[in-house]
Amino acid sequence: MLNYVWMSLIVIGLLVGAGKDISDEVKNTYRNGFPIEATVHVEKTPTALRQTWEGELVIPAESFNRFYGITSAASEIRLPVEMTTLSSGKTTITILINDSSPDFWREMARNSSGSNKLLGTVNSIKFSDDKSVAEVSVVLEKVNYVKLRAITKAALDYADTAVTISLGLIGVMALWLGIVKIAEEAGLLKLLTKLLTPLTSRLFPDVPADHPAVAAMVMNIAANMLGLNNAATPLGLKAMEELNKLNPKLGTATNAMCTFLVINTAGLTLIPATAIAIRAAQGSAEPGIIIGTSIFGAGCATVAGLVSVKILEKLPRYKKELLVDDHSSESSRG
Amino acid sequence: MVELFRNIINIISVAAVPLMFLVFVGWGIVRKVKVYEVFVEGAKDGFHVAIKIIPFLVAMLVAIGIFRASGAMDVVIAVLSPVSSLIGMPPETVPLAILRPLSGSGSMGLMTELMKVHGPDSFIGVLASTMYGSSETTFYVLAVYFGSVGIKNTRHALPAGIIADIFGMLGALFICRIFFGV
Repeated sequence: MLNYVWMSLIVIGLLVGAGKDISDEVKNTYRNGFPIEATVHVEKTPTALRQTWEGELVIPAESFNRFYGITSAASEIRLPVEMTTLSSGKTTITILINDSSPDFWREMARNSSGSNKLLGTVNSIKFSDDKSVAEVSVVLEKVNYVKLRAITKAALDYADTAVTISLGLIGVMALWLGIVKIAEEAGLLKLLTKLLTPLTSRLFPDVPADHPAVAAMVMNIAANMLGLNNAATPLGLKAMEELNKLNPKLGTATNAMCTFLVINTAGLTLIPATAIAIRAAQGSAEPGIIIGTSIFGAGCATVAGLVSVKILEKLPRYKKELLVDDHSSESSRG
Repeated sequence: MVELFRNIINIISVAAVPLMFLVFVGWGIVRKVKVYEVFVEGAKDGFHVAIKIIPFLVAMLVAIGIFRASGAMDVVIAVLSPVSSLIGMPPETVPLAILRPLSGSGSMGLMTELMKVHGPDSFIGVLASTMYGSSETTFYVLAVYFGSVGIKNTRHALPAGIIADIFGMLGALFICRIFFGV
């Protein structure tokens, strides 16, 4: 199943992205080639050295919305602007995009050559008598294939993120694996395992009651409950390593692994620290009010996950994948 | 009552790691384990495990990144909106329910955004934070845990994980409607 989900994420993403770009192109969402009217309040006039006007670009929200056929711009647009007359007689315009810019222009700027500015050419320019105000008509740089560009960027960025996350695990992994190794040598894990046998032997019938995997799984679940994410992941990976020692068919998940994974993905935590912290930061009167509801929600997830994992593992199609045979071809359907 | 429970859990959470170090190392010393040597021996694996995860995590995150960047989420939301309105789920929270199993940082951003717009103590704010606390980032956990031991055929882990996620979201919605319902 993982194969299909993975493939669908990519294929659906690419199709939707390409479709959106084609529809943008047809509808000319970004008004490529059409001039927008604006007013420039001149602050610096050209000198002998530089034929550049600096000032503030002003467009009323209403005419901005009308031009792009949107409704999102709420207030008048006021942005720093520079106009330069080149030796060829052509006048270019550079609009600096900042946090107060309308979202629509910010998106356009992200997808054009200068990431925090919009470039364009001035079609016509008409100064007031004292040269302090200019009426301009501007054609902005062409913007297209926004989604395909975003997809390319996301693919490269996320590949990078994956490596950052993995490498970031090295330190905590080493720390916890070291600590757990001491506990293992000291016989502490055996003790912990023995205490919890009644529960774990039911959840993981394939794992021998005194196997070190049991202790690692118990510690991982305990760490998750306490919201100790830094400790939970290394302990969980330790448990996977131990479970894999019992795996007759390397590369294929065993029933115990799937059960353990589902417990982890359901994420039962006694105190959802991240959500509470964000609630507090947002000025909630009662940030901790979600503790009970979260435990209930994650409890539902855990029960549903355990029930479905136990039912699914009995289905012939998943049972079949566990069989070890010499001429088993690549049946990695996930 | 809630406050007391929260305080107890907080104390346990804060003390758990130092206490574990103390008990584990102390027990080791009592049992005459060469603690330093054994620690280093165990810690050596940290590097290999982390490196082993990389290809699995790259595959997973890139697919999710493409999906999110393309705006395909809007399509999924449009498809799901009749279902969500049927069960009384505010349409604003549908993207969060879908993103929760896919991306931890993404869903955190979305939850923050919902609270900023609707207020943390509004029904949507409470529901969003409950939904966030009711599940884990399934796809990330799957990639990391299975990746660390080179599991490529994940069998029924993903369907079961997704069922768990769906029930987690439904459970969050159910309980929030009962306690903070509109």
